[in-house]
Amino acid sequence: MAANLKEVRERIRSVQNTQQITKAMKMVSAAKLRRAQDAILSMRPYAEKLNGMLRNILSNLEGDAETVFGQERELKNACLVVMTSDRGLCGAFNTNVCKAAVRTIETKFADVYADGNLTILCIGKRGYDYFRKRYTGARIDNSHVNLFHGLSYENIAKVAGSLLDAFEKQEFDAVDIAYGKFKNAATQYTITEQFLPVAKIEREEGDAMLADYIFEPGKVELLQYLVPTILKTQFQKCLLDTHASEHGARMTAMDKATENANELLRELRISYNKARQEAITNEILEIVGGAAALEQG
Amino acid sequence: MNITVLTPEKEIFSGNINSVKVPGSQGAFQVLKNHAPIVSSLDEGKVSIVTAGGGYRYFDVESGAIKESNEAGRTLVFAIQGGFIEVLNDEVSLLVTGIENGLDG
Repeated sequence: MAANLKEVRERIRSVQNTQQITKAMKMVSAAKLRRAQDAILSMRPYAEKLNGMLRNILSNLEGDAETVFGQERELKNACLVVMTSDRGLCGAFNTNVCKAAVRTIETKFADVYADGNLTILCIGKRGYDYFRKRYTGARIDNSHVNLFHGLSYENIAKVAGSLLDAFEKQEFDAVDIAYGKFKNAATQYTITEQFLPVAKIEREEGDAMLADYIFEPGKVELLQYLVPTILKTQFQKCLLDTHASEHGARMTAMDKATENANELLRELRISYNKARQEAITNEILEIVGGAAALEQG
Repeated sequence: MNITVLTPEKEIFSGNINSVKVPGSQGAFQVLKNHAPIVSSLDEGKVSIVTAGGGYRYFDVESGAIKESNEAGRTLVFAIQGGFIEVLNDEVSLLVTGIENGLDG
């Protein structure tokens, strides 16, 4: 029984060690999550103001606003942006993003993929590893796989800008993004959204003309500047959401792991105590038996 | 007149000012009190803000934190890569990207 005792003791120790790690990871993720959420919050005023300006121009514009980014073309070449995290241990988060991406490949982009004209732009190592092995029929673009290491607007705008350029030059006829939409620490949706072509920008009811604005250089020209900028902030929002979702998912996963470890420890302690009691009982039995044998003798 | 300067990452200035000079894409211009409503895109160049009394908040590059000040007549200059400006009823919104060396003045 002594060997069993030792075994259980070692298992308890190893579980405790693992628990310490999961606890620490949870704490780190909680801190990172807060920072990621702050980043989302602090970009919001900028995005809202941009949209406000857009609506402003539209309300002053006769007819519909048309830009090159709203062009609906026949689907020949497409790009799917897959935003995942760089590291694992965040529950099913990365798998879900990849699944959402696969669903899009199998439905919307099925023909494009069959023709070998699909480009998968991977941001985040996990997605890259996933698609590199499974989807050899597509061009896998890994030039921005490390974008999450430097999540500044400058870097993000570069990637978004190159996508916009490619769409403009008709290298892609559609661009979709698979990412983790952040709701709160416990809930993330993994979805695929159409990035390009943009849905037709329509004037909303109640968009009254606020004032008689001067537009420089001109309404239509301004739109040509404004729309790409809005698209870049949209792309940034997707990335920041994915980043926050990753940490939210990891926090939940690590919290569950810590709880699990607690449960495991409880069971192990019971079996440890049982084994210990058994050993003691055996020893007493032996002593009593020995004493009885002596008395008789 | 009030101004808010926003980048995609944070707010870098908000408060009361006397004037702001911006590199509009059809030539630089200055906005003073009671300017007509305008929306304009901005080119690469320098924005300079002259503060007024009444308090303003700005992002201090050295400490990396938001600071408050009351000092009037201070000129803050920063380089931008592009952006947009909207002026309506003495409310100026400045949306800029590529703030390089931050605010100095």
